Amino acid sequence: MSKLQIITKGILKENPTFVLILGMCPTIGVTSSAINGMGMGVATMAVLIMSNIVISLIKNLIPGKVRIPAFIVVIASFVTIIEMLMQAYVPSLYAALGVFIPLIVVNCIILGRAEAFASKNGVLDSALDGVGIGLGFTLSLTVIGAVREVLGSGSIFGYTFADGVMPLLFILAPGGFIVLGYLMVLFNKVAKR
Amino acid sequence: MKSTLKNMVIVLFSITAISALLVALVNNMTKDAIALSQQQTKNTAKFLVLDTTAEEARVERDTTHNIGDFAITVSTIVRQSDDSVIGYAVEAPSITKSGYADRITLMVGFVEQEDKSIINDVEVLSQKETPGLGANMTKEGNSLIRSIAKKNPAELKFSVTKEGGSFDALTGSTISSRAYANAVETAYAGYLWATGRLDTSDEALNAAPSGASMPYEEINNYEPEAQKGESDNE
Repeated sequence: MSKLQIITKGILKENPTFVLILGMCPTIGVTSSAINGMGMGVATMAVLIMSNIVISLIKNLIPGKVRIPAFIVVIASFVTIIEMLMQAYVPSLYAALGVFIPLIVVNCIILGRAEAFASKNGVLDSALDGVGIGLGFTLSLTVIGAVREVLGSGSIFGYTFADGVMPLLFILAPGGFIVLGYLMVLFNKVAKR
Repeated sequence: MKSTLKNMVIVLFSITAISALLVALVNNMTKDAIALSQQQTKNTAKFLVLDTTAEEARVERDTTHNIGDFAITVSTIVRQSDDSVIGYAVEAPSITKSGYADRITLMVGFVEQEDKSIINDVEVLSQKETPGLGANMTKEGNSLIRSIAKKNPAELKFSVTKEGGSFDALTGSTISSRAYANAVETAYAGYLWATGRLDTSDEALNAAPSGASMPYEEINNYEPEAQKGESDNE
């Protein structure tokens, strides 16, 4: 697999949201607006790249039977450290992303990629896999967030274009599932071609 | 690597030990900076809610009133130039009503105009509400702040409009909005207390609509009303 393919497969063939169906909890939880979806996507991508690198570095030191608890400890410590550093030195970024960061620990994409890719591949490939999957996740979340924001609050990236009462359903979780379902159908129809 | 009891124990132990050590180190390194930045946010908010800045004004004094485990801090803000009082910035938590996730803390600015008080502005200091719903309370010009800004708190009813109150709830976030109204009410009580106008007669306390009439020891053990049987999401 070429380096470029590792990146593009994360966006299309192995899109974490629409194809692998991983990380559904943050997907439904935070995509009430496009900018929230994007923030979560970018934060996840940063953690994913770093955790993939660390995991692929230490993969030969970890006995097979305890790899999953070992990965979880690495990821959780990593996220906690990032959270504390951000809160201390870039408080404005922390204020914007704060709620998403603890959610990343429970995002099964991170553990999924550690298990499926980083524990079997080299450092560079693992980092690129993090970039690809991270981009795929960010794009999917931004699209879902945009659709929900347009339908639910009549705005896009915070810019309001339709006043009046919009169907609140799309901002709430049930509407999130509906949008996610339709986008999944659409994505798989287009991607299969 | 082949798993044996020995190497599993050693590896797991080393990984957790190294991780714990790193987290502890970073925590030690950042905790002062975090406290400082939180203090700065608070200090900026004190001036912000009174439409002034740290260059023009200063905090003359802070008075803190403890209700059970909760603290209400009233800061008297005066002009740098002539020491005249601009207004009062009150930091107050929502005591009897929790938001969807946790209690919220607000900074509320009160100014006096023609011998009546008005709410100048409100800043949210801490909240853990859902992004896109309850967290919209931090946005400028949201429905909550629009419904109470520049109004006399004595004429407000501290609940959401569908319960006959004065606060226009955020869309889909009745519980968060109730907590917000409760925090503003707490701030108002703190303001009245600090300016010596709080009516503490038994009559007034009994007539008070919520937490104000509660004995301190009860407030300590008070479980905030959670979202029981709500039709709304928040």
